[in-house]
Amino acid sequence: MKLVNKHIEKDGSGYVTLRPEDDEDMWHVYNLISEGDHVRSLAVRRVQTVSSTGSSDSYRVRTNLTLEVTKTTFSSAASSSQSTSSGEKKDPTAALQISGKVVEENDYVKMGAYHTLDLEANRDFRLTKTSGWDSIALERIQESTQEGRGAEVGAIVCGEGTAAICLLSEHMTTVRQRIDTSVPRKRKGGTSGHDKAMENFFSTVYQAVLRLIPYQDLKAIVIASPGFTRDSLYDYIFQQATLTSNKPLLSSRSKWVKVHSNTSHVHGLVEALRAPEVAKMLQGAKFAREGAGLDKFHKMLATDELRAWYGPEHVALAVDRGAVGTLLISDDLFRSSNPSTRNHYVQMVEAVRSRGGESLIFSSMHESGQQLNMLTGIAAILTYPLDIEVVEMEEREEKERLEKEKKKNGSGLVVDDEEEDEDQ
Amino acid sequence: MSTFSLLFFCIAVDTEYTTKAKAAVSQKSASLPGKPRTPIATTPKSKLQPRTQPNSPNTSSKAGSSGTNTPHKAGTKSPLTVAQQDLAGLHLDQDVDDAEREREKEKYKEKAAISMKTEELIAKVRKEEEESGKKNISLIVVGHVDAGKSTLMGRLLYDIGELTEKEKNANERGSKKIGKGSFAFAWGLDALGDERDRGVTIDIATTHFATPHRNYTLLDAPGHRDFIPAMISGAAQADVALMVVDGSPGEFEAGFERGGQTREHAWLVRSLGVKEIIIGVNKMDVVSWSQDRYDDIVEALKPFLVSAGFSAAKTTFMPLAAMEGTNVLENNAEDLKSWYDGPTLITALDKVEVPSRPYESPLRIPVSNVFKGQTAIASGVAVSGRLCSGVVQVGDRLRAVPGDEVATVRTIEVDEDSSSYAVAGQNVTLYLSGIDSIHLSIGTVLCPTSLPVPLVNKFITQILVFDLQSPIIAGTAVELFHHSMNLPATISKLINITEKGQITKKNPRVLQKGTTATVELTLRSNPGSSSGRIPSIPLETSQDNKEMGRILVRRNGETIAAGVVTEILG
Repeated sequence: MKLVNKHIEKDGSGYVTLRPEDDEDMWHVYNLISEGDHVRSLAVRRVQTVSSTGSSDSYRVRTNLTLEVTKTTFSSAASSSQSTSSGEKKDPTAALQISGKVVEENDYVKMGAYHTLDLEANRDFRLTKTSGWDSIALERIQESTQEGRGAEVGAIVCGEGTAAICLLSEHMTTVRQRIDTSVPRKRKGGTSGHDKAMENFFSTVYQAVLRLIPYQDLKAIVIASPGFTRDSLYDYIFQQATLTSNKPLLSSRSKWVKVHSNTSHVHGLVEALRAPEVAKMLQGAKFAREGAGLDKFHKMLATDELRAWYGPEHVALAVDRGAVGTLLISDDLFRSSNPSTRNHYVQMVEAVRSRGGESLIFSSMHESGQQLNMLTGIAAILTYPLDIEVVEMEEREEKERLEKEKKKNGSGLVVDDEEEDEDQ
Repeated sequence: MSTFSLLFFCIAVDTEYTTKAKAAVSQKSASLPGKPRTPIATTPKSKLQPRTQPNSPNTSSKAGSSGTNTPHKAGTKSPLTVAQQDLAGLHLDQDVDDAEREREKEKYKEKAAISMKTEELIAKVRKEEEESGKKNISLIVVGHVDAGKSTLMGRLLYDIGELTEKEKNANERGSKKIGKGSFAFAWGLDALGDERDRGVTIDIATTHFATPHRNYTLLDAPGHRDFIPAMISGAAQADVALMVVDGSPGEFEAGFERGGQTREHAWLVRSLGVKEIIIGVNKMDVVSWSQDRYDDIVEALKPFLVSAGFSAAKTTFMPLAAMEGTNVLENNAEDLKSWYDGPTLITALDKVEVPSRPYESPLRIPVSNVFKGQTAIASGVAVSGRLCSGVVQVGDRLRAVPGDEVATVRTIEVDEDSSSYAVAGQNVTLYLSGIDSIHLSIGTVLCPTSLPVPLVNKFITQILVFDLQSPIIAGTAVELFHHSMNLPATISKLINITEKGQITKKNPRVLQKGTTATVELTLRSNPGSSSGRIPSIPLETSQDNKEMGRILVRRNGETIAAGVVTEILG
């Protein structure tokens, strides 16, 4: 993404002008825009005019509109049927739609009229935050406008008869294609059905690989499966490549990695990317860090339950006590429509960072982020053990104490009532 | 159906040859029952007991007609009306019309009597079982990888005579050729190319054999941890388990310690409803039939099996040597005779108790394999699986869930012989008509059209948590196993922890190993696809159907919990 213009005051007000360039940029934009923000971009609007004689006329105009956002929808549109030839980079396929009320006067459109904008790649837009720019949003802009960011990885998670072909970028996992063919299982008296079906399955996967995996641009291509399917698939791919003398594919051979995963479902990816041979190739990639973070959390849960907390209320208590060493938080929470909720989480992240802790913001477009979302979207690894029940009790006592103080400071009438109750 | 429309067509084309056509009709209809009858006529020989012979002409004629008429069962009315319409439109002679109608009526009459009523069938099956004393039972062979499961089973089949000398010799030659001579017996079951090359069982092998009092369906499971899904699919079809452990030095320990499959397999088969287990301590010849070694292994396994839920009375231990075939059919090793006088494998298998079968419950067949039959009679779309409950007869119309397709049972194969019916507990192959194989997949459940299995996305289950690396918390991503299906799912809510039926803690934060808990499970939809196709799985509560209500939960390649479905939420 390109940062065209940035004008942000000390107090957080102001605007930025951005130019998204690929799918991942769309995802960043989706995470940046929250309800109530103002977006100004080129739009196509159908305008209707009614002449004095009553005949109506409608035409389309291209005009700049400013919207106050009420709704955003994002679709990764992984199933685009563009069939560019093998191994080349794709045009962006993700789509982002922004609906809202027009808030700035315009020659064609009345104030308060509703419009839905399609944000497109390579087209500038201006974003003004009414609730002010917070550190998380600024960080995201910085991250997304960095040049040459990100490791792109292709992955094939497969089992007998099923395969998912995925592309991973820094913030997104897109399943480009799912292949599901029925493979008859072993049976007494002939396994020809099985062998034939497997051959068929491999050739389907091979075709999909040629079509969907830009292996020339990728850092690595991972084949993950339980059992021996990955070996058979790998052999098949390169046997076919040799037969068809597909030079580019053959020369990418060093980038292909076979790793073990326990399942043939897409969520096996988390596990596959943790494998040492892959981790080495992806050093420092965000999704690798996320996966490692989540793994650490689970390990902590197993070894010291008192140091692994999850759930918004509980984590908030831990943050208050300055106990959080690593905060795992999903970007889903920052997308909250309520600014105060978002603010609450922003403060949590800042609090942890100011104390020297680490905050990992998970992308919910990755499997690890999805898994974190299921764990309420927020989890923390504490620096020292804290018993949740003790903490909750302390909180309760504190609350009661505060209430009592309030009562004492308030009118004496309440106290009288209580005494009467006791008398009875 | 096509034959008839064809006939109408040819009648329509030349009315002058009506008589000829009629002749053709009668000829055809006469020849039609002939084909399906042949297998049915053989059934009394193979399946039914001699006692029923006097009855058999009656039954066979009934069944025979069922064979011909079945495809029309649902549309019994419609061919008639279609015929009328066709004929009316073609202005045919009245007598042809009548003749056709007569014929249709005839069918109609036959139809009423074709399939035995379910109750009658059940009564018949019960009676036969009692008289012959020969019961159907399924056996799963489990154990750590390379314990010798397939080899033992290959040996057993060879000794019993199911595996012919010729096949055995071919396997011996083949395995020697690639330098894996010791796998000769295993090749009797490991038929896949990959399995033979690598010397590892990958998928369940199903075959059958008979002992004096039992008809066994044998399921040979893979022991390698990557293929546990296949093993689960097999264990869900089994009544009794044969666990093979490796007696050779160090190997038993490797399989029994953490990371070995011995424990996991025992838990799995137990939680899938297997109550009786036979433990074969294999490769005893390697330790020269040392009694100390045998006793050590038995002592190590006993407490574990009790903790896994096998009662001591239902656990049998025996020393074995699969390659030599010692103590398989008979105990012929002098070294062993000196200290062991327990049962041989075959006598132990013959005594296994057969659980009662839910014949009266609605039919449920979870499909474990879909393929295309290639022989002359057994051709077309075929599925195999085990009847969890109920009965199925040739001609029944079955609904394939998930999906909205209905198929007709054309042929039933039990133990590679065709049969006119099958009952709960049997492993069958059904050849279906009226359905395309794309509507069937591994995991589909076949059930009566009137009582289909519910499709479930979210349910409450009572689980027992096994040994696990990290505890279960709400939102844990898991894989749900149910018969041959496995789907990504989430433990969406921890409802309570129970101890001996008493709720000890509500809304727990974590589930540690060994706890019994009630949780809510939700199937995960595909990430990224916002199209919103809600994933679902056909299952029932365990009150409705025991076998359809059992589930297993796995994570990162280890089984973390087993459970029964208690409530379906949608």
